[in-house]
Amino acid sequence: MLFRSRLQLLLLMSPATLLLAMLTLYPISQILINAFSYVDYVGAERQFVGLDNFVELSEDWFFAGAIKNSLSFSVLASLLQVGLGLALAVLFDRQFTGRRFALPVIIYPMMLSTLVCSAIWRAWYHYDFGFLNNALLSLGLEPVQWLFDPDMALFSVMLVDIWQWTPMAFLIILAGLQSIPADIKDAALTDGARGWRRFRHITLPLIMPQVLLALLLRSIDTFKLFDKVYALTGGGPGNSTETLSLFIYKQGFKFFNLGLASAAALLMLAIACALSAVYAWRYVGAKS
Amino acid sequence: MLSRSALSLALTASLTLGAAGANAADLVIAGRDGIYGQALDATVARYKEAHPDMDIELLKLPYGSLYEKLVISLREKSGAYDLVLLDDTWATEFMGNGWLANLEEQGKVTGDFIAATLDISRYPVAEGPAYSLPIVGNVAMFAYNQALFDQYGLSKPANWDAVKVAAKTISAKNPDTSGVVFRGQKGNPIVTGFLPLFWAHGGVIVDDAGKPQVNSAQGVQALESFLELKQYAPKGIEVYNSTEVRDAIQQRKTAIAIEVWPSWAPSMDDPSQSKVVQEMQVMAAPGQVNGSSPMLGIWQMGVTADAKHDKNARDFLNYLTSADNQKTLALELGLPPTRRSVYTDKDVVAKYRWYPNQLEALEHGKARPRIKQWNEVESILGDYLQLAMIGQMDARTALDQANRKIDRALKR
Repeated sequence: MLFRSRLQLLLLMSPATLLLAMLTLYPISQILINAFSYVDYVGAERQFVGLDNFVELSEDWFFAGAIKNSLSFSVLASLLQVGLGLALAVLFDRQFTGRRFALPVIIYPMMLSTLVCSAIWRAWYHYDFGFLNNALLSLGLEPVQWLFDPDMALFSVMLVDIWQWTPMAFLIILAGLQSIPADIKDAALTDGARGWRRFRHITLPLIMPQVLLALLLRSIDTFKLFDKVYALTGGGPGNSTETLSLFIYKQGFKFFNLGLASAAALLMLAIACALSAVYAWRYVGAKS
Repeated sequence: MLSRSALSLALTASLTLGAAGANAADLVIAGRDGIYGQALDATVARYKEAHPDMDIELLKLPYGSLYEKLVISLREKSGAYDLVLLDDTWATEFMGNGWLANLEEQGKVTGDFIAATLDISRYPVAEGPAYSLPIVGNVAMFAYNQALFDQYGLSKPANWDAVKVAAKTISAKNPDTSGVVFRGQKGNPIVTGFLPLFWAHGGVIVDDAGKPQVNSAQGVQALESFLELKQYAPKGIEVYNSTEVRDAIQQRKTAIAIEVWPSWAPSMDDPSQSKVVQEMQVMAAPGQVNGSSPMLGIWQMGVTADAKHDKNARDFLNYLTSADNQKTLALELGLPPTRRSVYTDKDVVAKYRWYPNQLEALEHGKARPRIKQWNEVESILGDYLQLAMIGQMDARTALDQANRKIDRALKR
């Protein structure tokens, strides 16, 4: 037994628990109180207003847009990143010429800071001088309004996120693939399972926990999307790329409307928990 | 284990020493990055020559961070800063909350400050005592390419209708050149681009009774004019900010810029950066129903009410705003002055040919509404202006919705 008694275990855990309570539970409880209050930040006054902040949010066209943008970004981007990561992992699970050199290139974007990534892509997206439109023009195609077409902008931000974070999903899934015991692969081959059938019935079920873990991590991260939008579009054009994080940041830190920002943060937390619960439930289910 | 303890000890010691070091400064200034930071750096260096024993700590922060840090620090009365640099739209909030010291409690502010720039340092505006001094004489100017205007037989635009005609003519005859350019990015950029046109058409953001009026008939007409201009602007104007506007002017890709700031102007005549050397005319924005209404963007500096080094702060502020220092900063860095005498100084005018026009624009300059919630009001207006610009709402609907939301924000 690792610990001599339950008391010793509790004693050892107490500093971490205390720290967690201070850093997590205290802010969450403050958000909970603020969400139902009008907070005058300057006068340090708080007045209970019941559901007023939530009513104001429900009537706010921009808040509704922010929820829609955050959810669509999170679901689409995380699915695409994991899908691409899976395809790359399957490719890199085999030996091929140049594999050793291709691997660092694949994971390189993940090592850049988000602001650097955004600056690179902002230049690539430039309508007149950007590399992407020049490439399209050289192929005889029309240039694309990457960042200023409201129907295109969120997808353009998503493309940057996919470029930067697909490597993370790829690494998690590759680790899963490489941990499959060789005898299972051999047994499958002996039984005549090859190609797609072997992948569908043997490999995929074995790496499902890693796939779900990658999905969970990426969906939590993409749901919080802030920095790329801040750097690339500022939430525009219109409200086409405004996310919940950006909305909360503006209300909380630009306008100091702490009640409204807390109510929005609480709703965001609830949505994030619900989103994570789906994956976590699937993950636990897959594990058991 | 030992190394981890040593690391913790070193970290604690360095934090303690760092804090002690910060407290030991004789003057702490919270300022901006970029050209404002360079100007403060240069001034601090000169000031220290006369005060060699003085330890001055200068923080150079980006726009958004500066505001957030100042609000939190001043609200908490932390005494962290002695002097603070303020955008003029923050002034009402800072002065109204009692965060700045009255600079006239020991005597009137003297000097030849341009009246409009000093008015917004006073609380109540133009009437009360000064709580700050104007540091940077920023005013939104209007620029047009004289060579292109001559080529197409156009004369200096007398009003916004003439601007539209010129933009239409040039973009029709010269497909490589857009008729007009402005900052279309949502938030502060698009609002700043729109305001001179809005005011000239007779628009009012908040009336004397504090009620929002952005959706008045004049406001809607102004927005319709603005949207009309968009058809002569480059593709992607919705995300244009300063860099794109400056590039368009300097690369001769546009004939008119409805918004040019004094810090952008010198590079237009710099042959290493510009293809339009001596071609651009810089003037106050045209009028329409009302006269010219160039937007003021004065940066001010105030002494905090909880300053630990109040005397040093006031002395440095007087030095910073002196005519000699302003002249040096104008010549060395192109920082626009706030004193009349510097605008008429022959050395300065020889270097910056548009300074007489800039002085005129400053004298007719209009400040944004003196309300504590301006940040939020600007953001709301910026959101709806852009929705109109990308065609998701017509001008009337956008301004009606903006007005409703601004009303709610002002009541909060």
